[in-house]
Amino acid sequence: MHERRKTLALAAAGASAMMVLTACSGGGSGPAEGDREITWVINSLPAAWASISGAGGSVYTVQMLSGVVPHTGVFQPDGSYEYDLDILAEEPVVINDDLDEGPFQYSFTLAEDAVWSDGTPMTGEDLRVTAMMYASPDEGYCTTCDSRGTTNADMIDTMEVDGKTITITLEEGLSDPEWMSLFDSTSAGGGFYPSHLAEENGWDVDDPDQLGEFFTWLHEARTEWSGGPWMIVEGDLENQVVKEPNPEWWGDPVQLDRIIMPFNTDEGTFVNAFNNGEFDGANPAQFSTDVVTQLEGAPNATVTIGEGNIWEHIDFNTENEWLQDVELRRAIFTAIDRDDIASRTYGEAYPEYELKNNHMFGSDSEYYVDHITPSGQGSGDTDAALEILEEAGYELDGDTLMLDGEQVGPFRLRTTDTVIRNNSVQLIQAHLAEIGVETTIEMTDNLGEMLGGQDYDIVEFGWSGFPYFTSNPEQFWHSESGSNFGGLSNEEIDELAEATGSAPNRDEAAEYANQAMEILVEEAYVLPLLADPQYFFVNDRVTNIEDNLNTSLRATYNIGEWALAE
Amino acid sequence: MLVYTVRRVLGAIPVLLLASVLTFVLIDLSGDPLADLRVMQPPPDPEVIQLQSERLYLDRSMPERYWLWMTGVGGNGDIGLLQGKFGPSTQSATYDIGANIAERLGVTLRLVGAAMVFALGLAILTGVVSAMRQYSKLDYTLTFVGFLALAMPTFWFAGIVQQAGVSFNELVGTQFFATVGDGTYQAQGLSPWGRFTNALAYMTLPTIVLMLTSFASWSRYQRTSMLEVLNSDYVRLARAKGLPNRVVVRRHALRTALIPLTTVVAVGMAAIIDGTVLTERVFQWRGLGEFFIQAVTANDSFALMAWLMLSGTTVILANLIADLLYGVLDPRIRYE
Repeated sequence: MHERRKTLALAAAGASAMMVLTACSGGGSGPAEGDREITWVINSLPAAWASISGAGGSVYTVQMLSGVVPHTGVFQPDGSYEYDLDILAEEPVVINDDLDEGPFQYSFTLAEDAVWSDGTPMTGEDLRVTAMMYASPDEGYCTTCDSRGTTNADMIDTMEVDGKTITITLEEGLSDPEWMSLFDSTSAGGGFYPSHLAEENGWDVDDPDQLGEFFTWLHEARTEWSGGPWMIVEGDLENQVVKEPNPEWWGDPVQLDRIIMPFNTDEGTFVNAFNNGEFDGANPAQFSTDVVTQLEGAPNATVTIGEGNIWEHIDFNTENEWLQDVELRRAIFTAIDRDDIASRTYGEAYPEYELKNNHMFGSDSEYYVDHITPSGQGSGDTDAALEILEEAGYELDGDTLMLDGEQVGPFRLRTTDTVIRNNSVQLIQAHLAEIGVETTIEMTDNLGEMLGGQDYDIVEFGWSGFPYFTSNPEQFWHSESGSNFGGLSNEEIDELAEATGSAPNRDEAAEYANQAMEILVEEAYVLPLLADPQYFFVNDRVTNIEDNLNTSLRATYNIGEWALAE
Repeated sequence: MLVYTVRRVLGAIPVLLLASVLTFVLIDLSGDPLADLRVMQPPPDPEVIQLQSERLYLDRSMPERYWLWMTGVGGNGDIGLLQGKFGPSTQSATYDIGANIAERLGVTLRLVGAAMVFALGLAILTGVVSAMRQYSKLDYTLTFVGFLALAMPTFWFAGIVQQAGVSFNELVGTQFFATVGDGTYQAQGLSPWGRFTNALAYMTLPTIVLMLTSFASWSRYQRTSMLEVLNSDYVRLARAKGLPNRVVVRRHALRTALIPLTTVVAVGMAAIIDGTVLTERVFQWRGLGEFFIQAVTANDSFALMAWLMLSGTTVILANLIADLLYGVLDPRIRYE
């Protein structure tokens, strides 16, 4: 008995000593003492080391490469656009936007002291090679480059390089109101790439096959080069990357020693890990009411919620015999109570939600015009809806809407099976029942097939939109667009959509877009609900940091300025 | 013993073949690997879908695909289990399933190994103690703890353990327990002692979670088995001969009582592998469990098949090892 007690006592003492010693040593989590270090979570795995390709081009790759891939400009949190004058010598210029005078032409000039992390100067050649990789293979620059954003690059006719300057001429008759996006943070690669590394690796960038090899190498080899304030010093695509200051950075020096970006795929772990000091913050792509609520209760957290870039809307299939009647469509949209939907889906965690009253522009945009409120659509005004119906010859038979003795509908109300959308369509069903319109809810797990096959009468889904907008009206509402799923055909809208895409500048393009939306509301074709909210949280010890919902970079858009509170 | 081992290994081949057929058919019928591509907005060019379909061999019939998957004959050089190639991935054209499995195997083995060692050690200890003190307060307590552990869902328990780790850190004012990651990067440049404490910090919580369910069931088996042996004639004889209790338990009872546990542990390998899926997810370890979740999320059928075949092979191997261990534990068992 005595011996057993001694053994137990020894074991207990050993365990206690181990706990104390390991506790004193600080374990493995937490920064090394004295280091100014931030751990910023990216909430999924980046698929590649460059974001140009379709497979690599996720927001996670873009955020991982923040402060590494140089870019010429970025939209600010307030919606304004700022050129990066560390990278550029001056704001880029449009040389010609009058197509009667000649082809559309513009140029970028890089800063004199702009260099890559190996000391090689940045030149117009870097921009030229990047544009070649952004273009689709049909353009003939690159055989195997599968760029995820080819629109701007495919318009290019010629590129002339003169040292730090590149002059770009578009093909005859084409104009590009969003030309400045070619090398900015929204471009396919989130900026531009070091062409001299192709030569160093033995590839000739003017050979389409060899440029393809360089393209693949950029995506597969760990990014050890940098053209920004930070460079990746270690890491992989499965766990995390570690960034340290780029010694060749010529701009304002960074105020941290290190930034660690772990990839964390489970939002359920955020709260514990954040409270445990294992990371300082994140800007997740998905909204989670539970996580937000818990983080808002954390004593050292700043949490902000704002409108994301996915906006929900309700569309009609205009090829349904009943829904061809614009008066019925107007009445249905009028009966839908958007505020009810928004407050019941997001209201608890995000009571400041804002209904979307313009299909393209957020209320903070200089181009914003409220098209929806004056129309009464989305107001849930049942009386007004019934009045529209009565004037159009419809009548209520008990709880059923009738026209010429025949029941109107019932309509198939469809969406994808998420909690938010599920709740949303149930509310819409209840709203429409108020005006005698019967709907049957059907969920789908194949949105593309359902939309493409017009397999719905009324549908709720989301579009993704960024501050760049000029190609959207043509894609969404042009009668010949494959993405105009509901089949609306309106010549005026077609003309305005085309004019938006070919306007000489954004201001003019926005005017055309707003005119198109005005007609769209009259047609009662698409009813915007609200932009899905997104959240951001950060430990209060970090300063000079804020979310930026106008770019895929999110909070990392100013990663060079992040600092620790004194 | 060598002949027996070879015979068992050869006997495992038809089992694996049957497993491969079942795995292939079930995964193949379970969904369209290109489903995500087809629902993209705006819809991709039909040519892109066609190219992806050809790359993933979806343009071939099911029997043809199975043949390709097994042999690689007629493929593009990226497929053929018998050649050690697991097939193309939907995740990207450059995603190497085999290399990913190899890389993650070490991570998972570290977790599974630690969990198995601790679960076994604790199960044997508590099982023996419970049996020797049957119907005592200690026995009731251990029984209660065992059933409680059995009843707890892994994901829920993992959250509780994480929270406990955070609370401990807050209490002692350190960051000893880490709740996410496996700590590989944090270990770089540390002294041997630093690496040890770093490993302890990252491994403790997930190991506790993973060992829990196995420990609970194994300890119950060990208790029952030990009780049966303690009440057997030869143990009564050993006691009657005046052997000290310690010698009776260690030398005569425990060895025999371990035989049923060996079988249970071999069968339980499947449960441990299942447990890694949730544990690795919650603690963000990039092991085979996380590989499985990624494969499911990406509709990556070849990656899923690779994972299932690996799990099946592991279970078959564990059973083989268990069979061989019987001879070590019980000298009466001879292999012919």
